[in-house]
Amino acid sequence: MKNRAINWFLLLTGISGIIGVGAIVYRLVEGMKVTSLTSNFPWGMWISYYIYFIGLSAGSFLFSTLIYVFGRRELEKAGRLALFSAFFALVAGLLFIWMDLGHPWRFLYVFAHWNYSSVLAWEILFYLGYIVVVLAELWYLMRADLGLMRDESSAGKRAFYGALALGWKTPGTKEERESARQGSMRAAAVLGAIGIPLAIGVHGGTGAVFAVVKARPHWYSAIFPIIFLTSALVSGAGLMTFLYAFLGDKGESDYPRIVRSLADWLILFLAIDIILIIAEFLVTVYGNIPEPIAIWKEMIFGPYWFVFWVGQIGLAMLVPILIYLFKRNSSTWLGIGGLSVVMGIVAVRLNLVIPAFATSPVPLLDKAFHDARFVFSYFPSLTEWVTSLGLISVVAFFFLVFYRLLPMVRTSEEYSV
Amino acid sequence: MERITRRELLKRGSIAGAGVAIGSSLGKKGFAEEKGEKISLPKIVERSRESNLERMEKDLQRALQKPQHERHWVYVIDVKKCVGCAACIAACQTENRTPPGVVYRPVIHEELGKYPNVTRRHIPRLCNQCDNPPCTPVCPVDATYKRADGIVVMDYDRCIGCRYCATACPYNSRLFDFGEFYARGKGFFPIMPYENVPTYEYKVSWKRHKGRSPVGNVRKCHFCLHRIERGLLPQCLVTCLGAVNYFGDSNDRKSLVSELISKSNVMRLKEELGTKPQVYYLL
Repeated sequence: MKNRAINWFLLLTGISGIIGVGAIVYRLVEGMKVTSLTSNFPWGMWISYYIYFIGLSAGSFLFSTLIYVFGRRELEKAGRLALFSAFFALVAGLLFIWMDLGHPWRFLYVFAHWNYSSVLAWEILFYLGYIVVVLAELWYLMRADLGLMRDESSAGKRAFYGALALGWKTPGTKEERESARQGSMRAAAVLGAIGIPLAIGVHGGTGAVFAVVKARPHWYSAIFPIIFLTSALVSGAGLMTFLYAFLGDKGESDYPRIVRSLADWLILFLAIDIILIIAEFLVTVYGNIPEPIAIWKEMIFGPYWFVFWVGQIGLAMLVPILIYLFKRNSSTWLGIGGLSVVMGIVAVRLNLVIPAFATSPVPLLDKAFHDARFVFSYFPSLTEWVTSLGLISVVAFFFLVFYRLLPMVRTSEEYSV
Repeated sequence: MERITRRELLKRGSIAGAGVAIGSSLGKKGFAEEKGEKISLPKIVERSRESNLERMEKDLQRALQKPQHERHWVYVIDVKKCVGCAACIAACQTENRTPPGVVYRPVIHEELGKYPNVTRRHIPRLCNQCDNPPCTPVCPVDATYKRADGIVVMDYDRCIGCRYCATACPYNSRLFDFGEFYARGKGFFPIMPYENVPTYEYKVSWKRHKGRSPVGNVRKCHFCLHRIERGLLPQCLVTCLGAVNYFGDSNDRKSLVSELISKSNVMRLKEELGTKPQVYYLL
C-alpha cells in the first residue's frame, strides 16, 4: 500500500516537476520581469522558500545530531531519513536563491569576489561546508549497506551502488563488520559535532542576513536569528515526524514509540518558538514605535491576514498542539500534525520576509512615483507560483526516487551498519 | 550711464575678445583620470546670478583639477524653492535612459497643516552617497563600493542581482532593472527607438538587452558621474526650474556647497541611523 502511494506521488511530482522546469526555463530566458516584485519590494516568494528550505535542512540536521552526537539511540531508525532530508532541503534552498538572482549564471562570482563583510557571502561558504559534512556523514552511515547492495546487484544497479559506495569493501568476518560499524558511528558523531556549529551558522546566519539590516526595523533585533533557529528546529522535527510516520516501517515494533518520540521533540521546540515570538510581539507592541507596529498590523490585519492566522497560528501552532493533546496515541495523526507544521512554517517564513517591505521607510515615498515596478505591494505572479511549486516537486521527486533506491529508513538487520 | 563712442566700444570689445581668445586657448584641462585620460572642460557661460550655475561650474572645474581622492561630492537641496514640478525626474530618466520602475530621484509630495494653515512641501530623494553606507558591506560580490570622491558606484558587470543592497538601503534609493521596456509588451508595440539609445552611466556605453547588464542589476543615482567628470553639472540640477539644487566639492572650503552645508537650517534624512548621508536639505 505504501509502495502504491509512493508511485502516485512519483507520478504527481514528476508531472508537476516537468511543468515547473518549463516555467523555470521561461524565467531564466525572460529574466526577473516574470515576477511581480518591484524596486521597493525586492524580495518575495522565492526568498521566502529559500529561507524555509535552509531552515528545514538545518532543523533536520540538528535533529539528526540528537541521535548521532547526543546518543538518543531510540530514534536511530529515523537518523538517515533526517540526513537525507537535510541534504535535499539544502539543495532546494540553494536552487531557490539561485533562481532569484538577477544574473543567475553569475553565481560563481560569489567565490571569485567573495566579500568578507557580507553575511550572505559567508552563508554561501557555510552551505558548502555543511553539504560536505552531511554527505560525509551519510556515506559513513550507509557504506556497509551500499557495499552489500553493490555486491548483490546486477550490472546497472551495481555501477550505481558502487559509485555511491566509493570503493568500500565489505569486510569478511563478523568482527570486522562490527568494528567497521562502530567506526562509522564514531565518524558520524564527529561529523555531527562539526556539523552543529555549521548548521547553526547556516541557519542562524540566514537569520543574520536579515537581522543586520538596520534599514528594516522589523528585522533589526538580536532575537531575529534565534527565532530563525527555533523555527528551523520546529520545521525539522515536523518534517521528521511526518516522514517517519508515513515512510517508516509500520511493521516494526518500536514504530509507534519512535513517532511519538519525534512528536514529543516537535512539541518541545514549538513551545520554545512560541515563547520567543510572544516576547518579540509584546515588546514591540509595548514600545509602539510606528514603523515596526505598522508591519505587525500589516501581518495581522492586512490584506494577507490569512497567512498569519491560518498558516502561522493555525497550521504551525494550534493544529499540532491540538493533535498532541487529543490524538497522540495515533501515529497517523501525529504524522498529520508534522505535515501541518511543515506547511505552516512556510507561512512563518513568508511573514518574516514580505511584510517588512509593505511600508515605505521614507514617509510618502509610496506616493512619490507611479509605476508598476515601484509600488509597495506584492502578490506572487503566476510564474512565481509555478516555478516554486515546480522546483519543490522536482526535489521531492528525486527524494522519493532515492528513497526507493537506498535504505533511507533502517528497518531490518539484513543490511546492518 | 555715460555715453560711449563707437571707437571706445570697438577698443574695449577687441581687448575683451583677445582676452577671451587667449584664456580659452590656454584651456583648463581636467585632472588625469584613472587611465590618464585628459579631457577638455567646457567653457563657463555667464548666466543669471540667482541660479549660481556659474559659480558651481567654476567650483566643479576647480575640483576636477585635484586628484579624485581629494574631492568629496555633496548635493544640497533647498526645500523651500522646490515646487514639485518633477522636471528633475524626467531629466534624470532622459539622461540615464532608465527603464520602467527605475527612478533615481523620486520627489515626495507632502501636504502639511490643517486648514486654513496649510502648505505643501516637496522633497526629492536621491541616493545619499552615504559616507557610512549600509549597502556596500552587504554585497556578496563587492559589486558596489564607495569611490574616493564619495560616490557609491555600481559595478554593472559584477552585480549578480541578489538585491541585498536594495533591502539594506534605508532610503530605498536602489532600484532594480527588471528588463522591461516602456512600449514593449503592451499590445503589439516593439521596442521603441528611444529605448535602444545606450546610456553612458559610469562612462561606459550600456545598451539594454534581455539578460545583459544593466538588466538584472541594481541601479541607483550616481550624481551623473559621467557628466561631472567632464565638467558638466548633474542633469537634474541644470534642468531644475527653481534652481533648487546645488552640487560641489565639500573638501573645497570656497565652494558654494561648503557654505550652504555649514548653516543651521540644514537637515539630512535618517541621520540617526549613522549612515552619514551626503545629500543636505536646506529647510
